[in-house]
Amino acid sequence: MRRGVDWRQGFLMWALLALLGIFILYPVARVLWVSLSDDQGRLTLLHFVNFFRRPLFREALWNSLLSGVLVVFFGSLIAVPLAYISARYEFRGKIALQTLSTLPLVIPPFVGAVALQMILGRSGMVNLLLMRWFDTTIPFMEGMTGVVLVQTLHYFPFIMLNTAVSLSNIEASLEEAAENMGCHGWRLFRRITLPLMLPGYIAGSLIAFIRVIDDLGTPLMLNYKNLLAAQAYLRITTIGIDDVDGYVICVVLVLLSLASLFGARKYLAIAEYATVQRGAPVSERLSGGKRVWILLFIGLALGVSLLPHIGIAVLSFAKIWSFSILPSIYTLDNYVEIFFRVPHFVKNTLLYTLIAAGLDVLLGAAIAFLLVRSRLRGRNLLDAIATLPLAIPGVVLAVGYIRVFHGWDFPGIGGPLTSSWIILVIAYTVRRLPYTVRASYAALQQVHVSLEEAAQNLGANRFKTYWKVTVPLIAGGLVAGGLIAFVTSCVELASTIMLVPRIEMGPISYGIYIYMQSPLGRSAGAALGVVAILLVGLGTYLTHRVFGERAGSAFRV
Amino acid sequence: MEPAQVRLENIGKRYGEQWVVRGVTLQIERGEFYTFLGPSGCGKTTLLRTIAGFAAPDEGVVYLDGEPVTHVPPWKRDVGMVFQNYALWPHMTVFENVAFGLRERGARREEIAEKVKLALEQVDLKGTANRKPSQLSGGQQQRVALARTLVIQPRVLLLDEPLSNLDAKLRAEMRLELLKLQRDLGITTIYVTHDQEEALALSTRIAVMDRGSIVQEGAPREIYEQPRGPFVAAFVGKSNLFEGSVTRVDDGTAEIETLEGIRMTAALRPLLPSSPARGARVALNIRPEAIAVVRRDDTISSSNRLAGKVLASAYQGSLVEYEIECAGRSIKANVINPKGKPLFHRGDEVAIVFAPEDVLVIKTEQAR
Amino acid sequence: MKRALFTLLTLLVLTTAAAAKEVVIVTSFPKELFEGYKKAFEAKNPGIKVVINSKQTNAGVTYLRETRSKPEADIFWVSAPDAFQALKTDGLLDKYAPPKEIMAKIPAKIGTFPIHDPDGTYFGFAVSGYGLMWNRNYLQAHKLPAPKEWTDLTNPRYFNHLVISAPSRSGTTHLTVEVILQAYGWEKGWALLLNSGGNMGTITERSFGVPEAVVTGQYGIGVVIDFFGLSNIASGQPVDFVYPSLTSVVPASVGIVKGGPNPDNAKAFVNYLLSEAGQTVLFSPDIARLPVLPDLYAKAPKNYPNPFTMKLGGVNFNDKLSSGRRDVVNSLYDHVITFRHRELKDAWDGIYKAEEAISKAKGRDVAQAQGLVGEARKAASQPPITDKRASDKEVTDAFKSKSGLKAQLETEWENFARANYGKAKELASKALALTR
Repeated sequence: MRRGVDWRQGFLMWALLALLGIFILYPVARVLWVSLSDDQGRLTLLHFVNFFRRPLFREALWNSLLSGVLVVFFGSLIAVPLAYISARYEFRGKIALQTLSTLPLVIPPFVGAVALQMILGRSGMVNLLLMRWFDTTIPFMEGMTGVVLVQTLHYFPFIMLNTAVSLSNIEASLEEAAENMGCHGWRLFRRITLPLMLPGYIAGSLIAFIRVIDDLGTPLMLNYKNLLAAQAYLRITTIGIDDVDGYVICVVLVLLSLASLFGARKYLAIAEYATVQRGAPVSERLSGGKRVWILLFIGLALGVSLLPHIGIAVLSFAKIWSFSILPSIYTLDNYVEIFFRVPHFVKNTLLYTLIAAGLDVLLGAAIAFLLVRSRLRGRNLLDAIATLPLAIPGVVLAVGYIRVFHGWDFPGIGGPLTSSWIILVIAYTVRRLPYTVRASYAALQQVHVSLEEAAQNLGANRFKTYWKVTVPLIAGGLVAGGLIAFVTSCVELASTIMLVPRIEMGPISYGIYIYMQSPLGRSAGAALGVVAILLVGLGTYLTHRVFGERAGSAFRV
Repeated sequence: MEPAQVRLENIGKRYGEQWVVRGVTLQIERGEFYTFLGPSGCGKTTLLRTIAGFAAPDEGVVYLDGEPVTHVPPWKRDVGMVFQNYALWPHMTVFENVAFGLRERGARREEIAEKVKLALEQVDLKGTANRKPSQLSGGQQQRVALARTLVIQPRVLLLDEPLSNLDAKLRAEMRLELLKLQRDLGITTIYVTHDQEEALALSTRIAVMDRGSIVQEGAPREIYEQPRGPFVAAFVGKSNLFEGSVTRVDDGTAEIETLEGIRMTAALRPLLPSSPARGARVALNIRPEAIAVVRRDDTISSSNRLAGKVLASAYQGSLVEYEIECAGRSIKANVINPKGKPLFHRGDEVAIVFAPEDVLVIKTEQAR
Repeated sequence: MKRALFTLLTLLVLTTAAAAKEVVIVTSFPKELFEGYKKAFEAKNPGIKVVINSKQTNAGVTYLRETRSKPEADIFWVSAPDAFQALKTDGLLDKYAPPKEIMAKIPAKIGTFPIHDPDGTYFGFAVSGYGLMWNRNYLQAHKLPAPKEWTDLTNPRYFNHLVISAPSRSGTTHLTVEVILQAYGWEKGWALLLNSGGNMGTITERSFGVPEAVVTGQYGIGVVIDFFGLSNIASGQPVDFVYPSLTSVVPASVGIVKGGPNPDNAKAFVNYLLSEAGQTVLFSPDIARLPVLPDLYAKAPKNYPNPFTMKLGGVNFNDKLSSGRRDVVNSLYDHVITFRHRELKDAWDGIYKAEEAISKAKGRDVAQAQGLVGEARKAASQPPITDKRASDKEVTDAFKSKSGLKAQLETEWENFARANYGKAKELASKALALTR
């Protein structure tokens, strides 16, 4: 189909560009504009100059960067060994390792923060025991330590999954060749394995870094405010949507994310270079002493990273849990509450995220099709805009939507778009679009154009070819991309908080937030959290079933 | 380093309950070009990997220059291996790839530069030093892999189907280059291939493998001309295999009736493991190039002459390949250098003629 | 598949648009409260659906401002009176006169505070007092006494055991801060706030973060509005609550949004809230607020506080003053306490250590050390601006526009705080050195 410009392709591309322009570029531009204009609507850089003049914002910028780097560093300490183990060893329970290690992504980090307080907090399980036995406590959760701890436990899977994909793409012979040349052990790792897994590792670290500097829930729940995202949110919601500093911070956040994406583009571009040659990956059956050590490490790493989940599970059954190691009174009421009294949170989540995932699959497949199969000018623009949501914090997108869609009635809804739940579906669709584009892009690249040509040669028209040949071939990639969109949308909070028009339209993440807002409802919130974990856990498990060993590649930049 | 002698003693390797190599014993002399030839899955690559140290044998011992090395790790064996897919490191340039082994050996910088340059010249790759492997053609990549291994002057050179990823013409060229290089360097070389032509062209000795064991070992000519058993006969070169029984033994010849009812005379040679007696069941092979195709009415007399009908004929310039139906089965016949000879077409009535010397008895089961 | 999806979408859109008989409420109240009222109101008024849009107070104000061109809400329903003041000033609230028979039973004032807006744009439906809540287990484990007064918050023993929410994030905390500032005066009030700020273990972003921290025992004592304490006591948590003697009881209010989609339903809701039936709902243990109908307390649960008979410490709460300087006070608190919390804590930690060393240094001359500590205390207790400046129109306006003055002021305050706390810490460590 590389046959010059086809007007249908052109039409499709312009339609997609228009759609993405309305729902991505324009809202973000509106946010950008606020930060670049003065009261009279003239262009000014004053606000940015002021930003760098203020010690508070300089400190927040520094703290954000530092927390990003620290999370990547500590996350790597857990993620890289786990990735190595999951890519290189065969053992029973490997699928459990792979599923469990994606579970941290499942709970919204702000819920994780609450749960972790119960375990590692000032008067959490661990410190109460320490106090009892040694009359001392360890401030795990204070200040930035707590933020970095929670975020490390939440975001390390991004590093792990990407690294594991890269590692399992390295064929055995590349390392054997080095051994054959006299190289082994640590040197072998440093000179061959490490450089070859670097693209995946960097891609993963990058996602983790961007997500950390955009993360809002964790610092808010831990009351650590000297971070950019938190400052932006506090500004916009406290002083008002007209507070220019909030927008300036938003723009700085976007710039930071873009800069890191751009800085790592070399690695992202060659991300797949280890797969140029196809061959068997290395894997070793675990046995003996090594097995014991490795299982011990897995147990320890997963045990720590699943602490928040344990905390939530216990909390969801707690009636009274106050300054004691475990709850003093248990109850099942919280589950009765969320399933029978207010079941709409669960229902809404399924409705919104499934529609969003479906739209993402359609859009992702269409965009990937144009990127891979067409020679249209403007392809690169399409690619850039479809990738942009990775760098746009949820808060920024939400603020942009309120700005753009609030004032006027959207045709067919009978009110502004922001008064309908459709705005949430749109936000989720946009936020997760990069994942399905990437997944379909990768899948489509594997389908040689000759397969399509064969179908056309046998008389199928273009549309039929796409539906009967191409789509079935890339179905695995599409489904996996859709599942990722579903899974991550389930726990989306940043844009949800700002966009939910009314409480009955809220999804689970909003429900958890609301419950956590009421002094008596924390445990019900935790019960919703457990439901979210189960939902997303199921989604992740299915992703692994569909994608197999390469499940991690779906979480890739 | 001096080329080494390689000896395998009763090597066995299994995956799970399945033995992929069993009871292999052989000795490869210094400077030999020794080939493991066999179909895929016969265990030849596994055997090569036990020599390189990537697969630990479950039984038996590997000796290098008389020293047992079965438990020496690959990085201490000093045997150079060229992988089937070349295994060039994509993150390093050609120069860095070739220099890798020298660096591992702690060579000085100038020495490395000098040797890499030489090695690249040796394989005709001047001027590619700063490129990445992905920027090279398949043939060039293959030669980088070779240079990378040769530059460290290993005691033994192991080649795992190095030519299988090249196109036919390139393969033929590289085959010759490899031959010259090996003979010049005098390095002990072990070669793994499923391509019998390659094996015959390159090797000083060949071990034909089937299902984990060596079925015949010998010089190329011996393997081709005196295959022991139908497997070798069929695998090495083209063949027409028959089964039958001996109806009469004369002085130096035997008359055999095949299962199809064809009667033919075979010359018996002292080289056979045991001469068939009357009533013995035998397996026979006649190479296609030993069979002449003549007109039915041609009067050439021979002790072995059969009437047949052409099923297919393929003219290939240097030879014509025929498939001819005789007594209800198909027989392949290659007429070499067909210039001036008559050309037959599908459906032509012909006769095939072959000498008793070309009817090889490859297996005998004496009658009880 | 596409067609099916489209049909589904249309269907859902239609159902959303069709449900017109509703009353849309923007509220910051916890779930227990709005759910309780939703159920009660819908039972009384069949056919009217209560639609809740849960937003934190300040976010709610922002939301109404943003949606003024075409309001989507009928009712604004939160605690903080100054939020209503702000909306009234912006002309976003509708005037309404509820039926006389309802209004007649509600007194005009509680303490010195008018219950309803005299201009009839918002109405108090419950009153709340501010106070202190503590975790009994926590205090016992750390061997701490229970607090009684605001001034107890400056007690060195409570260092790192207290919790408050940032006034900028919580309308109720802002009122508490104003009560303190008006009860003790600007200078003394800030000294108390800064000293207690130094004692805070953490400053939460959400007002419910405080009861949560106390209930779970993360921290021992929290500054909260009464119903957080009362409802948790009612649900059996090991906590207690007290009203300090210098406090004020202020109404939580409800107002009708001007130009809202369902004005009649909005009026019905306000009437219900103020009626006897509506007021009784406040007694339910998971709501635990104080009704504005004095007669109703006869039916109150045992030990229920009655603000109309309570001895109140006579703070003449000036809500005009409060709402006028609201943005300034909030930003000030953030820039000298919330965002500089680490430095402030360090300073007070140093001061307490020096003072302890001085009290233990028997028989030696500690006059110089005492002098230094005194200076340190002063440095760590000073607000960067005067109360006059805080109500200055130039300053208050700076927080409503894009002018550079706000950034400049905030930077000044921040630098002032940083410098002072650094100085205090240094002085304290000098004093400590002198005692050795």
